[in-house]
Amino acid sequence: MEPARKETPSHEPDKSKKSKQPNKKQKPKRYMSKGWKEGLSGYLFMSPTIFTIGVFVVIPILYAFYLSFNDVQLLGGIGYEFIGLENYTRTFDDSRALIALKNTAEYVLIVVPVQTCLALLLAAALNSNIRGKNAFRIIFFLPTVTSSAVLTIIFMWMYNPDGLINSFLKFLSLPTYNWLADPDIALKSIMIMNIWATAPFFMVIYLAAMQDISDSVYEAATIDGANWWQKFIFITVPILKPVTFFVVVMGVIGTFQLFDQSYIFSGGSGGPNNSTLTVVLLIYQYAFKSLDMGYASALAVVLAFIIMIVTIIQKKFFGEEKLHD
Amino acid sequence: MKMKFNKMLAAVGVTGMLVGAMAGCSNESSGQGDGAEGDQVTVELAGWGASPEEEELLQQTLDAFEEAHPNINVKHEVIADQYMDVTKTRLVGGEAADVFYLDAFEAPGLANTGVLEPLDEYVTDEFEIDDFQDPLLNAFKFDGTQYGFPKDFSTLALFYNEKKFEEAGLDGPPQTWEELREYAEKLTVDEDGDGTPEQYGLGFSSELARQFYKLEAYGADVVGENNEAAFASDEAIEALQPIVDMKQDKIAALPSDAGTDWGGDMFGQEKAAMVIEGNWTVPFLENNFTDLSYATAELPTVNGEKATAAFTVAYVMNKESEVKEASWELISFLTGKEGMEIWTSKGLALPTRESVAEELGFDEDPIRGAFVAGGEYAQPWQAGPNLPTINNNFNNQFTSALLGDQSLEEALKKAQETANKEIEAAN
Repeated sequence: MEPARKETPSHEPDKSKKSKQPNKKQKPKRYMSKGWKEGLSGYLFMSPTIFTIGVFVVIPILYAFYLSFNDVQLLGGIGYEFIGLENYTRTFDDSRALIALKNTAEYVLIVVPVQTCLALLLAAALNSNIRGKNAFRIIFFLPTVTSSAVLTIIFMWMYNPDGLINSFLKFLSLPTYNWLADPDIALKSIMIMNIWATAPFFMVIYLAAMQDISDSVYEAATIDGANWWQKFIFITVPILKPVTFFVVVMGVIGTFQLFDQSYIFSGGSGGPNNSTLTVVLLIYQYAFKSLDMGYASALAVVLAFIIMIVTIIQKKFFGEEKLHD
Repeated sequence: MKMKFNKMLAAVGVTGMLVGAMAGCSNESSGQGDGAEGDQVTVELAGWGASPEEEELLQQTLDAFEEAHPNINVKHEVIADQYMDVTKTRLVGGEAADVFYLDAFEAPGLANTGVLEPLDEYVTDEFEIDDFQDPLLNAFKFDGTQYGFPKDFSTLALFYNEKKFEEAGLDGPPQTWEELREYAEKLTVDEDGDGTPEQYGLGFSSELARQFYKLEAYGADVVGENNEAAFASDEAIEALQPIVDMKQDKIAALPSDAGTDWGGDMFGQEKAAMVIEGNWTVPFLENNFTDLSYATAELPTVNGEKATAAFTVAYVMNKESEVKEASWELISFLTGKEGMEIWTSKGLALPTRESVAEELGFDEDPIRGAFVAGGEYAQPWQAGPNLPTINNNFNNQFTSALLGDQSLEEALKKAQETANKEIEAAN
């Protein structure tokens, strides 16, 4: 700040300015070289990460982008043929791509709101002074620690027509479902499983943010006569808005990329009757079953574009300035 | 300044480690130059996983081969899941095994790409190519070139539960599909009357692989002249409608309806009194359901004609293989008389050589006889290079027809349209 202050009040003639400048120039020069050294060591420290990210993230992204404009022949001699936007126009005519997009959108629209609300409520419950809250925190967090492949296989057992869930429903005299094989139900089965597994992760994020909220705010509200619910709605939720933005964005990105659960559920086919076909699963099928890398890359670029647009919309929706508070 | 220097030093150190690690990697990867060292040759053999019993038989066969060829080592690798995806990816990367399994279903597509070694030049008189059953040999012959030799085959037959037949007062297996329906009605048991039978009359699989053999008897085709999907015909509807009706009347069911993984399991757990399955089911039942009293029969006739499906797998050679001579030695042993006899000795799969079949005499076996008999008129599960795409679309739409979400006609039309669109886009 000091140099700036010195400069502004000085309304001296040009001469003095000029005479000052050489001095100034010398100083920055030293700073520059010092800074350059700092920078160099910084980059040296970063170089392992830059190298890894470059090789495994940046180059593949650029390469996928390049592939999406080509017709790629892989088996029996690798060949590329530039075909412009043909891969992209093909997506509009691909009924399975539309089904995959519809399934994915449905999945996102149901799972993200539910898991966000659930995470918030769980966090609120565990933030209050209930007995054994530490034990509950551990128990609730356990699903997140479990590998999703293992989780899916265990859920498939429970979803079996004669499995745990149907037996339980039968016991309560509720209707039972064919959770795995009925096309109307299969995607919902995955939704339930995923909400159960992901909500606790976001709960922890909410919980951490809630503990940052100053008690004085709640005390003031108590003095004003606010009850528990009013405090939650008018204090906790608004203060947590930036966190909610993070949770929703991460949730949307994660759900758009649904792959492993539906892959295991359907044995890679996206069945029954394309009901668990998601965009990423379709990309996998085109890339590795049909070896149609060009088209698969185009689909991946389209998916990235959709996620980007949705994220931008959310940013507008939640208000940007809140993020920097 | 000293601090800075230390920082720099650390940075250089980290970078150095990274470079060292990279160098390490490249060193490791360059040390792969085995193969044709000295007289010893290693041939890689890749296949999918199977039952422990089958693994043991294969090991026996390979041991016999190594004994006969002391200079050739066989490195057997099992690809546990998504066999074709893994194999294709490895072929692209030049890392595929020298010799590998190939299902007839995938063979036309793979042969088209030119990654398989044509085997005609290797064949000698000693190999006795005429000994193979023609339809099975032709499943791996494209444009007059032989790309693989069938190691074994399986056909579909009807498994029926003798105890349940007795209880329902039925004698002997059904002879026609009309009779099959009558039988299934009698064999369906819904004890608690909730509309979901505890025991279905017939368990079946909905995949095209398990349905296509009915089409020919009605004069319908799976694919057309240009290998495009062509199953949306009135004849095909006639052929497939009976099973759709049976499913909707709840006298036939898919394994998943009964909470089982596949037909054999469904049959073993007595959730279906009859299933249409292949001979791979026999050892499964023997090992897991020892008390089950069952018999097998040839499939009921379709429109008055005998029909069943044959599934066959060949050994093929990778065109990029560096040990082709040794690879051929392996293939010719495994599909030759001696190797095939060991491999098929327990009847897990049926021999493709007539001489071996005669020697083993499975046609006399009470359980396996039906499969051997089916071999005479079985249609191999194969229909051009686009079959994987066609299969996928058929399976999806046929499932929804079975559930009654759409009529069979609509389902077949939609499946054919989607498949042909995909085929066109891919070519």
